[in-house]
Amino acid sequence: MNSKLGKGFGLVVGFLMACVPVLAHHGGSDYDVQHPIAVKGTVTEFFWSNPHCQIFLDAKDDSNKVVNWTIETLAPAVLKRAGWTRETLHPGDQITITIVPSKKGTPVGMLRKVVLPGGAELTGGALGEQPPQQ
Amino acid sequence: MRNRFMSYALAWTAAFAFVPVARAQADHPDVAKADAKPAAFDPHDFSGIWNPVPNMQPKDEPPITYGRAFAKNDLLPPFTPSGEAKFQANAKFIAAGDVLDCDPYGTARNFFTPRPFEILLTQNRLLQHFEYYDNWREIWTDGRKIPADADPEYMGYSVSRWDGDTFVVDSAAYNGKQFLSWSGLPLSESMHQTERWQRLDQDTLKIAFTFDDPKNYSRPWTITAFWKLKKDWVLDAHPCTLSAIKEYDERVNHADHLPGLDYGKSQKK
Repeated sequence: MNSKLGKGFGLVVGFLMACVPVLAHHGGSDYDVQHPIAVKGTVTEFFWSNPHCQIFLDAKDDSNKVVNWTIETLAPAVLKRAGWTRETLHPGDQITITIVPSKKGTPVGMLRKVVLPGGAELTGGALGEQPPQQ
Repeated sequence: MRNRFMSYALAWTAAFAFVPVARAQADHPDVAKADAKPAAFDPHDFSGIWNPVPNMQPKDEPPITYGRAFAKNDLLPPFTPSGEAKFQANAKFIAAGDVLDCDPYGTARNFFTPRPFEILLTQNRLLQHFEYYDNWREIWTDGRKIPADADPEYMGYSVSRWDGDTFVVDSAAYNGKQFLSWSGLPLSESMHQTERWQRLDQDTLKIAFTFDDPKNYSRPWTITAFWKLKKDWVLDAHPCTLSAIKEYDERVNHADHLPGLDYGKSQKK
């Protein structure tokens, strides 16, 4: 399931990258932090809330079926310091988002980086004084 | 459960492997160099917002980094047999994924959460406001001692004195219902926590913590942590609310076939 989903999103690119700790309530062990992927799609909802914001994204898989991804982020406080606001994303926005995916193969992941419609990039922020997530 | 715990530990170890680690504060590039013109600061004034720098902790101490389970070769605190058993139980509990509740985090765990805190000064107290979960701590600065009949609380009871330019904080009267760290180090009602705060330069705060908790540790042990002043920051609202956690469970955890945080289950501390 995981590989199926991974192959299905044209711009899905696996690469190794420097990992900044991310402990979601979801649990760090549930994400494949060694294999981030990029997903290109259309924002269906941007939910700005503690404990973690959420981005919902429609993207097509390899059978051209639209899958709605659930992508969590760090807290609003951390996103704000990385340049985000509650108005950063809107339904209909076309974005490419880099995430660490769930190990379960579900369309669930944790934000690392987003490329906005205008081409600007934002990271998912950092916990403590550490290099920002790439 | 064990595999999940190991996976968790490995994930965090891998994550930190990419981050440069400073072995000693004097060598750390973030500490002002001796030949640089130091900015003026009052070593007795800690007011402002401070953001933690987890990777500045010296390597020869038990790691206290947020989210990081102990690795095979890590130094461990000097546990008593019962303290070690409690730690192992806590670690298993954390590995099961249910590490959060809305109880106050206590002083130690708040310090070791990688989020900023703000220091506010009043005539007789230093107030510490932790952004994460909106926890407040008061440190009395009027020379009083810890009352013998202080009610045990999550945040304990803190008093202070100056030792030259070092602000010394003594805390006790903990209720023992919280972990000392995110890794599950235990903390009991017998804890006496001492902190030695030093402003190394305008932007760097160093605090040496000594934990004296004879129920869990065979002798007092010390770790050192660092923070950076963030002059242009403000704290954001991040209270812990069960309604928000429940909503998060429904929208995220359940999408990943996870049961959620199950706040009805009490933590084993």
